[in-house]
Amino acid sequence: MDKAATDGWSVRQILAQQGILIAFVLAMLVFGLFSDRFLAFDNIMAVLRQTGIVGVMAIGVTIVVIGGNLDLSVGSMLSMATVLVVDLHDRIGPGPAILIMFCAVLAAGAINGVLVGYLRLNSLIVTLGMLSALQGITLIYTDGKNVDIANQSDTWFAIFGRGDIAGIPTPIVMFFGVAVLGHVLLTRMPFGRKVYATGGNPRTAVYSGIRRGRIVFLTYLISAFTVGCSALILGSRVMGSQNNVGQGYELLVLSAVILGGTSLLGGSGNILKTVIGVLILGFIQNGLLLLGFPYYAQWLVTWVVIILTVWLDVASKRHSLWSPIA
Amino acid sequence: MSRMNKLALAAATAITVVGAAGAAHAEKIKIGITQNNVGVDSYQTTYEKAFIAAAAKNPDVETVVLDAGGDVARQIGQMQDLIQQKVDVIIIWPTDGKAVVPVVRKAHQAGIPVVVTNSNIAADGMDFIAAFSGPNNIQQGASAAELMCEALGNKGEIVQISGQPGYTTAIERQKGFEDQLAKSCPDVKILETQPGDWNREKAQRVMEAFLVKYNKIDGVYSGDDNMGVGALNAAKAANRAKDIKFVGATNFAVGYEAMERGEYYGSIYQSPVDDAEAALATAIAVKAGKQVPKLNYFETPKITKANMDKFTKPVF
Amino acid sequence: MSDIKNNSFVRWLSRNPIWGFVVIVFVFFSFAADHFFALQNVENILVQASTIGLIALGLTLVMINGNIDLSVGAILALAATVTVDMQGWETLAFLGDWVLLVAVLAGLLCGTLLGGLNGLIVWKTGVDSFIVTLGAMLGIRGLVFVYTREQSFYASSFAYSDFGSSSIGPLPTLAVLFIACAIVIHVLLSRTVHGRNTYAVGGNREAAVNAGIRVGPHMVVNFMIGGFFAALAGLALSTQMGASTPNMGREYELWTITAIVLGGTKLTGGSGSIVGTLGGVLAISILRNGMNLMQVPSFYVLVVLGVILIAVLALDKHLNRRTAQEPAL
Repeated sequence: MDKAATDGWSVRQILAQQGILIAFVLAMLVFGLFSDRFLAFDNIMAVLRQTGIVGVMAIGVTIVVIGGNLDLSVGSMLSMATVLVVDLHDRIGPGPAILIMFCAVLAAGAINGVLVGYLRLNSLIVTLGMLSALQGITLIYTDGKNVDIANQSDTWFAIFGRGDIAGIPTPIVMFFGVAVLGHVLLTRMPFGRKVYATGGNPRTAVYSGIRRGRIVFLTYLISAFTVGCSALILGSRVMGSQNNVGQGYELLVLSAVILGGTSLLGGSGNILKTVIGVLILGFIQNGLLLLGFPYYAQWLVTWVVIILTVWLDVASKRHSLWSPIA
Repeated sequence: MSRMNKLALAAATAITVVGAAGAAHAEKIKIGITQNNVGVDSYQTTYEKAFIAAAAKNPDVETVVLDAGGDVARQIGQMQDLIQQKVDVIIIWPTDGKAVVPVVRKAHQAGIPVVVTNSNIAADGMDFIAAFSGPNNIQQGASAAELMCEALGNKGEIVQISGQPGYTTAIERQKGFEDQLAKSCPDVKILETQPGDWNREKAQRVMEAFLVKYNKIDGVYSGDDNMGVGALNAAKAANRAKDIKFVGATNFAVGYEAMERGEYYGSIYQSPVDDAEAALATAIAVKAGKQVPKLNYFETPKITKANMDKFTKPVF
Repeated sequence: MSDIKNNSFVRWLSRNPIWGFVVIVFVFFSFAADHFFALQNVENILVQASTIGLIALGLTLVMINGNIDLSVGAILALAATVTVDMQGWETLAFLGDWVLLVAVLAGLLCGTLLGGLNGLIVWKTGVDSFIVTLGAMLGIRGLVFVYTREQSFYASSFAYSDFGSSSIGPLPTLAVLFIACAIVIHVLLSRTVHGRNTYAVGGNREAAVNAGIRVGPHMVVNFMIGGFFAALAGLALSTQMGASTPNMGREYELWTITAIVLGGTKLTGGSGSIVGTLGGVLAISILRNGMNLMQVPSFYVLVVLGVILIAVLALDKHLNRRTAQEPAL
């Protein structure tokens, strides 16, 4: 009786702990069943290529969130970075353009980092302010015009969005590459331990000699860096950019991070699960489109998937389905 | 930059000579404009610049230039602010054809004539406006349909990428296209329509899904060239661009270039400069009490590789 | 005597620094922008502030509870859509003019129920409200699009939009509505048991449970109030437009939260006030209106708003730290 109960529980626990993985497999199966094109190799590759943009940023934002903060500025930052790299491409060549673009995003990330890390201002409001300010700066920079790369066929810049590395599309290589780097950084390096400590219990972290401000500052730099990588993919994929190209990406990215089970309170989270979160969102969007649903159907599905997945995750941690709140 | 200087100057004058302002500009016509969403695409930005430039050339005109950022509520607020300032004419580029009707009526009741530009307001509001000035989007959709029929030899299967849902221009172009297509070449079938939100990357993503879903696509109609080029990008990446005819609207520089290379079949030429100048001229005429037709459409001809040398390359 | 009075004013201002900011920007624009300092314009500001202001009233309670509701913008759109659409229903035509009342009640009920649904999920699953309502923000917007099929609806008669531009005495009806609601919520928060519990639950949940407060149902009630006011804001906005659009209310949650935080409510819960929230709402509305009248180009408005937002937050933090260090003041 007793044993059966524990066994039953452990099955449930496995189910719950890997809830996101199960949700992923389920989603793939359902779509695969209803659409013969869904599981086709070229479709999977197309979706992976598309998810690279959100995916790379989601890695950076996961690290910020584990450190106990939010980053809503990534959408505008992506617009700024893409516009910069595309506009400068024809003027000064791809190499210098990329360099300047990275300087700009890292500067923006540093502002976030100083305000939230050292001045200890609330991250939600700071990054919201930056969301607005960076969008304005981007518009001022371009004077509201679209920017384009004139000669699309012979620039090596094409490799980021359209090319392959060893037969694998570059966005996929970058996505998984950044994910592995992030994972190693968080789990194998002292820095990772400090990020978890800072997000988990800032006070204890400070007592144990961790310089909270510095750690938070660095998480924002990392997040800005990943935005720069995403801008490379986006700019090269489209070979042009609108000023608001990144609008709304902040919420997509945050949804993926949340789906991956990273707690918004900080201190816990896992890059590899974020990757699955990104993939789920990408495949849901693609699957519904293939089945002929209108695009807004994905919002309804995302609503249910987010709540169910996070609920399972939370429930497994506290060993009970229902919350203890009276 | 010059606008910022003007602004700083205006602010400084206002601070030093508060109250003395009233009598100074009695002779000038003051025109207020609230635009839809400048900066979201180059068309609107070019329009704004052309409008300001045209107004600056006319010494009798003073302008108040506002932008609603795509938000209906903010546009209503800006209309109220313009009525409050008692401008002589208001030009509005509606964020939504229906939702601005009451506030347009309010301006009408306050005795301020309203000129609607670029994208018309709903039929209920027509009584309260002095005139509409802009392109005929239904006609544009129909012209695009004729281009499509011509490109496909009246037979084939196509997909459609429409503009921002709920936006009058998008709805009218789609309607004009679908109606005319059924009339001119009923053997061309629309397989599916999805919105691309006037966004090139979004259109590219939508087209990628279409390419996976349909083995045979003969043509793509996009609500503007910006999205059309996104679709072209996707088709090129899948090595299927050669089998597909692309037709767009509002010819963009990137569309013009693709047409030059023979990758893009045709589009509709619509100049934001003409659009802006027509709106300003209409507003001045309305204020002067001249008779103007209610609907002032400016020319938006078809453009294909065959006749493109007659058009200058769009600056946006 | 006057010293003490002065002192208490200083103390009040240091607790609500946002009002100092409101006064400063008001004075600034009065000199810098023609047409700013006029009764008509003050009325405009109040009407323009009423949308975000009404949402903020309910959301302040939710946030003092230590929760958040990101779905208010979507709820606003759904309520407005339902109300505007129902006025045209053939099946309700027999009601005559009473259809308006039914439609309004239905819209408000939608908002209240959706708020309640969010609250119930937060309560029963224990998932963070930020996540629950982020999901709802997407999902409810999806419902709006399913309902409207991407179309705008508009009220068949101008009676509905005339309400939006009507006046009671010297003040616009919507401004009166907003002020009246603000007073009601202020009293609710500062003079009733429910108000005390709202602070208690947000300040120290353990202690609140020990004091016998049923935290779950209490939070659900506040989410319902939040949903109700989001819906009311939607109706107020739709009377100004005489219409509803599927995209209305987008990003309002962000500006509302910003206004509330500027007003001194902590995101961690336990503190905040309607007076502060009003200050935050007015600050943002005055900035927008003033920059419109000064014709600041829209690109610069975005930068100015972003920078001011962060600056006020920094200033507030600085002031609060000082008062904390000098409790005798």
